[in-house]
This record gives sequence, C-alpha cells and structure tokens, in this order.
Amino acid sequence: MLNSLKLCMHITHRNWIVYKKDLIANISPTVADPALVLVSLGLGLGSFITNVEGMTYMQFLAPGLTVATALFTSFFESSYGFYVRMTFENVYKAMLTTPIGVKEVVMGEMIWVGLKGAVMAVGVAIVLALFGLMSNPWLIPTLASVGFLVALPCGALGLLSSALVNNMNQFQTVYSFLIAPLYFLSGIFFPISQMATPVRIVAEFFPLIHGVRLAQALFWQRGIGEAFLYSGTILVVQSIILCALAYHFIKKKLIN
Amino acid sequence: MITATSLKKNFGDFSAVNGINLQVNKGECFGLLGPNGAGKSTFINMTYGTVKRSSGDLKIFGYDPDTNSREIKYRLGVVTQDNALDESLTVLENMQIYCAFIGVARADRKKRIEDLLEYMNLGHKRDALIQTLSGGMKRRLVFVRALLGNPELLILDEPTTGLDPAVRHLLWGKVRELHQTGTTIVLTTHYMHEAEVLCNRLVIMNHGLVAAEGSPQKMIKEHAPGYVGIFNIEDQNKIKSIIAGRDSYDFVEDTSGVYLRTQTLSDLTSFHSDHGLTPLQIRPSNLEDVFLKLTGKELSVDA
Repeated sequence: MLNSLKLCMHITHRNWIVYKKDLIANISPTVADPALVLVSLGLGLGSFITNVEGMTYMQFLAPGLTVATALFTSFFESSYGFYVRMTFENVYKAMLTTPIGVKEVVMGEMIWVGLKGAVMAVGVAIVLALFGLMSNPWLIPTLASVGFLVALPCGALGLLSSALVNNMNQFQTVYSFLIAPLYFLSGIFFPISQMATPVRIVAEFFPLIHGVRLAQALFWQRGIGEAFLYSGTILVVQSIILCALAYHFIKKKLIN
Repeated sequence: MITATSLKKNFGDFSAVNGINLQVNKGECFGLLGPNGAGKSTFINMTYGTVKRSSGDLKIFGYDPDTNSREIKYRLGVVTQDNALDESLTVLENMQIYCAFIGVARADRKKRIEDLLEYMNLGHKRDALIQTLSGGMKRRLVFVRALLGNPELLILDEPTTGLDPAVRHLLWGKVRELHQTGTTIVLTTHYMHEAEVLCNRLVIMNHGLVAAEGSPQKMIKEHAPGYVGIFNIEDQNKIKSIIAGRDSYDFVEDTSGVYLRTQTLSDLTSFHSDHGLTPLQIRPSNLEDVFLKLTGKELSVDA
C-alpha cells in the first residue's frame, strides 16, 4: 500500500517535471481565462447589474471563477493531456513495464490534477482578493481544498472520456455536451434558483455546483460549515465513484 | 525463468497465442521469431501483465504475471517496441524518472545512470533533449532505461528494427556482453541473422503456435540443411523442369529471384556445368531459409 502510494507520487512528480518545462504555455489559460471573464462579464456586463443577492455582480461572479479554473485545468489535463500521453507518446506502455500498475497510473494522475486544481484555485483567489472581492482574504488557503475536491471528479470525467473516445476529436463532443453546460449552468454566472427546475435537479448530480457552493460560502463567509458538510461530502462521494469508473475503463484500455 | 504451458490468448475471435509450451532457462539468450501477427508481442506482453492470458499457465520467476506482476517487474528490464521516451525532457531527466519508478535508491541514481550512459556510448548526451537525439541514440537510451534496475531477465522486443547496420552491430555487441555476464535474455526479432548471431536457443512461432524449436544450428540442420543458390527469376521454368521429381531439392520462388536449396555444394555447381545456369549467389543455408520454409511467405501478406 505504502509502496503503491510512493509509485503514484512518482507519476505525479513526472507530470510536474514535464509540466514545468513549458510553464508559461501551460499556465496561460488558467490565468488568462478567469481574468477575461472577470473583466468582460464582471466589469462590462456587471455595470448593468446592480444587485445580485444583495451584492455587486463582480462579487457574485468571483467565487465561481476559482471553481471554473479547477474544472478546466483538471478536465483538459486528464482528457487531451492524458490521451496524448497514452496514445501518441506511449508513456504508459513503458511505465507498465516497471513496477507501476494501472491503479498507480490512475491514482497518480488523479493526485496530479487534484494538486493542480488546488494550486490554480488558490492562485485565482489571490487575484480576486486583490480586487477586493473576498471578504476575508485569510480564507484563501482553504480554497485549495475546494480546488482539489472539484478537480478530482472533473479529472475523473476527463479520464473516463479518454478511455471511451475513439479519437481526440471526440473530446469536442464531451466538451460541448458536458463540460460547457457544467460551466454555464452550475450557478457561477447567475443564482441557481433562476434555473428551470429540471436543470437544477440534473445539475445537483454533477460536481461543479457543489464546488461553487463551497467557494461562495468561503468568499462571502456564509454557512461555511454546512457547505463543507453537505457539498464537501457529495464531492468526496462523486470523486470516489468517478475515480472507480475511470480506473475500470482505463484498465480495459491499457490491459488487454 | 519463464514457463508457459498450453498458453492461449484470444482477442475476440482471433487467437493470437494458440496454446504454446515453452521454457526459458536461466542464463539463456532465447529468441522468439515469427512473421508479423505470429503472437510474439502478445506473448511478451503477457510476461509482464499488460496482456492477460485466456487460458493455460504462465510463470515468470515462479510468479503468475496476472496476479503478481509487480514482483516480476522489479526483476525485469524491457526494451519496448516503441521508445516511449519523454521527448521534452533531457536524457538525464528521463532516466531519473525511471530510476524512481523501479526503486533505485536516490543516492545511487546518478552513478547508475552515468555508468550505463557511458556503457551505451551516450555519456556526452546526458543533458541533451530527447527530441534532438537520432533514432539510434534513442534506441540505445531505451537499453539504458531497461538496464537501470540491474534486471535478471532482459526482454528485447524488436530491439534493432529500423536501425542502421552500425548501431545494430553495436547493440549486438552489448547484448552479447550482457549475456556473457549472466543476464537472461529474451529477444523477439524479424531479422534472422540477428537471432542466429545472438541466440543460443530459439523458437519460430506461426499462427500463435510454436512451429520449431532448438539452437539455430540445429534448426538449420533439421529443416533446411545444405546450400542455397539464388537464380535469376527468368530461369524459374527451366529450373523447375530440371528438378521435377527430385526430392532432395527445395525450391522457393520470390519476386526477387529463385531460391534453390540443395544438399551439397556440387549439386548447385552442376547447374552451371550441366545446364548453363549460373546462380547469382551461392551461400550456406541459414535461419531465413528455415523461417520461410516453416512459416511460408504468403503469411506476411495478410499479417
């Protein structure tokens, strides 16, 4: 068990070594995208919206952006990134000749996206706090747990699609019908109560909405305890289920 | 070291390995030959657990790779068919990552890597990015990677495919040295000459079965003894009529020429003196003749 965990960490470490080689290119979208949304929607569109749940639109938008960052960084890493490593670079073919097994591959990748989600969420939160959008900046480190808890299930969705697509092009379908709807319909841009009931019910089964609730609780200092108890638990459960599914399907792909 | 008993592997309707029995003993350099699709790679992948057998029994170091692959993989080195190196990293970084994977102690890593790079004549490339290396250098580096853990068993899956003769000869020399220092080696290859030079025992696989087994010399003696004359393709009808009804001749026609195998050298030279046919080349028979005889050349077309 300890040995297995050590091997997972070696995979995580390997990904970090490769990632930092091209740091600027790798980090750009995660920094630039939320900044763009903040400026265009927050400042631009936000000037027409004076009051959302008793706050400015910028204040309303801020927490969701940290969560969206965790979603994108984890999904793209474990879909396109993982797929390229698996199919074109044959990274895992060589890895599997070493003591590493499929379990370590999947866990190592999950730890990697989890840590990435945590770091990115904190990074975005720092920027937002500088804009004065966080009522208590001392809570910034706790955003790491939110980033981690969102990145795990979203990363597992990415791995799952890596195992199920027939070619890289098909990730676009996954993006259009799963990831984009999650992004737009999980209460980041407008209160969840505004959505039609069926959409609200379906959204509850996906990880993002719970991440948004956690981040909002932390940013606005409202019901932090309950949010972690309810949304936190759901995220953990979703992570376990989705990681198990991802393991099952990735194994089919790597072991014949 | 490896024992396979009635080993089978089916992929859907296709049986890649169709009930083979074979044994690889400690200290051997064992060759696995066969046309594309004969089941070589499937077998190799089964030894470290990335292909699970359908039935039969397989033991490596006494362990079952389906349940104890990690114990096996700690003692195994594999030169994989694809290089699968991290192109954006340097030689040293690549090897350090693998040292971590196979559990080489942190303090020993640097020396271990540098010794092996020296051994494979890559010492001067330690800080080069993989994408700047030539094909032959990458292949040598994959050998370094396979040797990092001091493996008891070294698996070479088509180690010299696509390499120029100079690199191939260099790698042969290294394989022979490793064999002499006690490493057990399993080699798959399409190059008969490679198998003849390196292996002390080999099997030829065809359609997922073992078609023949033995030392290269024994196999040549058993299946294709004598001499081979290669004649011009235009002479084929003439040759056919001459050898009609004579059992001791073995005749293979090919797009590149007509291959005629005879028991003695004088049988061949008589074609010149008696019939005015001059062979383009005369040589002792080799593993290639055995291979073609046993697997038939039509196979490589649909494989």
